[in-house]
Amino acid sequence: MATLTLTWQRLHLGRWGLLFVVLLLVAVPLPQFFAPERNLVTDSLLFSLTQMFILITLASNWNLTGGLTGYVDFGHAVFFGVGAYGTGILMGQPGWEPWPEALTLWSFWPAMLVGGIVAAVFAVLLGSATLRLKGPYFSIAMLGTFVAMRELVRVVRPLTGGGLGMTLPPYLNRPLFYYLTLTLAGLVVALMWWIRRTEFGSTLIAIREDEVGAEMRGINTTLHKITAFWIAAFLSGLVGGIWAYQNAYIDPDVVFLPNRTVDMVMMTMLGGLGTVAGPVIGAATIYWLRDVVWSNLLLFHQIAEGILLIIIVLGAPEGIMGVLGDRSATSLPRLWRKWFPSTSSESEQPA
Amino acid sequence: MNLSDLILQAVINGILIGGFYAVMMLGFSVIWGVMGVINLAHGEFLMVGAYLTWVLNRQYGIDPFIALIVVLPAMFLLGYIFQRILINRIIERPFLIALLVTYGLSVAMASTVKLIYKADPRVTDTALTGFWNLSDGVGIPATKFYILIAALIMMAGLYLFLQYTRLGKSIRAAAQNKEAARMVGIEIGQVYAITFAICIALTGAAGALISPTTSIFPFMGPVLTLKAFAITAMAGLGNIPGALMGGIILGLVENLIATLVPGVGSNLGITSSFILLVVVLVTRPQGLFGGLKPAEAR
Amino acid sequence: MNSQNQTNGQKPLLEGQNVSKYFGGLAALNGVDFALYRGEIAGLIGPNGSGKTTLFDCLSRVQDISEGHVFFKGVEITRKKPYQVAHMGLARTFQVIRVYRKLTVLENMLLSRQWRGESLFNQLRPSHPDTEERASQLIEFLLLDQLIDEHAGNLSGGQQRLLELGMALMPDPDLILLDEATSGINPTLIETIKDRIRQLNREQGKTFLLVEHNIQFIADMCTRVFVLNYGEKLAEGTPDEIVKNDAVIEAYFGA
Repeated sequence: MATLTLTWQRLHLGRWGLLFVVLLLVAVPLPQFFAPERNLVTDSLLFSLTQMFILITLASNWNLTGGLTGYVDFGHAVFFGVGAYGTGILMGQPGWEPWPEALTLWSFWPAMLVGGIVAAVFAVLLGSATLRLKGPYFSIAMLGTFVAMRELVRVVRPLTGGGLGMTLPPYLNRPLFYYLTLTLAGLVVALMWWIRRTEFGSTLIAIREDEVGAEMRGINTTLHKITAFWIAAFLSGLVGGIWAYQNAYIDPDVVFLPNRTVDMVMMTMLGGLGTVAGPVIGAATIYWLRDVVWSNLLLFHQIAEGILLIIIVLGAPEGIMGVLGDRSATSLPRLWRKWFPSTSSESEQPA
Repeated sequence: MNLSDLILQAVINGILIGGFYAVMMLGFSVIWGVMGVINLAHGEFLMVGAYLTWVLNRQYGIDPFIALIVVLPAMFLLGYIFQRILINRIIERPFLIALLVTYGLSVAMASTVKLIYKADPRVTDTALTGFWNLSDGVGIPATKFYILIAALIMMAGLYLFLQYTRLGKSIRAAAQNKEAARMVGIEIGQVYAITFAICIALTGAAGALISPTTSIFPFMGPVLTLKAFAITAMAGLGNIPGALMGGIILGLVENLIATLVPGVGSNLGITSSFILLVVVLVTRPQGLFGGLKPAEAR
Repeated sequence: MNSQNQTNGQKPLLEGQNVSKYFGGLAALNGVDFALYRGEIAGLIGPNGSGKTTLFDCLSRVQDISEGHVFFKGVEITRKKPYQVAHMGLARTFQVIRVYRKLTVLENMLLSRQWRGESLFNQLRPSHPDTEERASQLIEFLLLDQLIDEHAGNLSGGQQRLLELGMALMPDPDLILLDEATSGINPTLIETIKDRIRQLNREQGKTFLLVEHNIQFIADMCTRVFVLNYGEKLAEGTPDEIVKNDAVIEAYFGA
């Protein structure tokens, strides 16, 4: 739909700017191949950036259900976890008698794919129940699912290794994971951009804005919701598989990290709910904040994040993209009025 | 002990903890019912109450049950302050805002406490200990019994307050219909502040009550918040008798599963309460005992 | 169960039998029977709280019926989902205006197109030129062409009502339920709406059921009027008959 504002326009970067950024990212690991002795690009840097790409992917996925369709999922990380465990179990050798031999000791790529598929199937089943709930009930039901899955994994010890976790075959190849996650992040962002331009994206927005009205106008909302849901789940499951392989170890607490779900929400909100670039900006920002700033304030960083979340949500609920798009808010008095409103502002909002 | 004894003990434990659960979640439920705010920091307020009790217990040797005298007003004040500076800003805004703000608050609170007191678990001592045998090995643990009594007293107090005092009636009116309440002259801002304060006081008191029987640590909050949500889904918003029934159901489910499923029972108990939550929300979104607000179209 | 009412050999387009809706102990609708025929412009009136919007909600399947049956084009729709009923050719507007506020007028219209029997893959392409043309035509028809790229949220109340009407008309429905389509609109615009409704009825045979508080509007537009009170059908007849009906007068003005 031509009239929906494309987010890159708002960032004033243009097509060449985008190309530049992409080329830059692709080039980062290259010194490792061509000039290894100079040690310009360390493994830990690649690892760091890999984590950032993972965050970007997860945040963008979340945005599909949460930002675009308006179903705020407070437990989306459950799909990441299902993918991680799916991959881990297939690649390993669970000590559980009934588990078929054919489903063990897989190599990574098929395992990752099946991990994603399992997450997607799980999403369809779960979504048909939870997507009937509205607003906060959906959010908390998903949060409950997340916690329940964590405990379930802990309980099914023969299959998952329980609380002790499972190890995966180690594979140390930082550049590979770097490119893998970069590609996936790129694909996901491109997918989001494309969805936004098609009628499917507009329909999701319609569902977000007014589900009853949408249904009254012939839109099969259940079908659309579940589709968005499983797409986001599949991609998150893939990421989970990648993460598991890179980490070479999974256990219920490290996989089903409570922070992970809220991270997705927070990053997307920071960047701009429902926009394409929002989750990217938000994820990158939070990641650098953590890596660069917080690490120096180790003791206080969690407190700071809690407070930061409050400030973001209250002060700039439209996120960075909202502030950028809202030209009237770039003047200080307007920004002040936004922060301490007596009535809500009526400025143009990103769809 | 044979199976029927174990089951009996599980039932007893379930009822005892159930009563506690009810008072534990009432603060959460009433805040939601009156102000429309889902307080994800609920467990953290309970945690703060528990730590406060611990300090009183260790530093001054005060028994947790006696400490209630201090904890209730202290938490009331804390709640009032929080409402005025923060919660005020999230009432009547989209629910996502409330969820995220209270989540941020919960993280900030838990981390602050961790900073001060470190993460190692603590426990308080109470004089009210003992075990009353009913038959071979099956009996009523005294501490939990007294906790139940204290919980019931507080719930009764809350009920009477809401039913019969002017302030209580104002609170109920505001929960039903803000506009109408305003027009009748009720000052909504003040009502909200008092409501929140009372609920936090109650929650903090629950923290005091739980301190002798559970280990206290900074991150004990989220599980309790989710349990509060589960019981609210069953009981309905601000429904006190429903809360009691819901709490007991949860307590029974947890204890029976923990007893009947060998080995992993206790973990499965937590899982089952969350599965219970999801099932209730999906099948009876209006709550088992009535009264969840039908979520409006956004 | 088959629909049974027939007048002049014509089967009703929309028919309700014993339609009842209970909320707890309260009956919002109690045993309402009615039949609407193709090509009619009918009115539904009643004092506040008489259940008009609830009836609309039940007919358009936004709410479930506690008891009774509803038939549309002879097919029972009592348990169908709203979008299925929309696919069959029923459209409605809402008392509280429902437009997609963050999308433009054009986008609102495009999204309201006919969705009958298509797969999701159809939506992966940009919109069909026929749809765009129809949307443009309707936008002009309803005098909104100046605002075609404006965000719906920025329109005035009256303009939003017109947009909602346009959105209801996009899928070329056979029956349109209009819930207080004139509320908040200035008198000149009301004349336009009347004109448009008549035109659609005359030239395309569209059937309308109007809920209104504006009795004059009903009197001008409708050939038949139903009156609801306390969830029950109080009276039915031509506007003249209704206005003289004692029970109706008492419902509106009586003790």
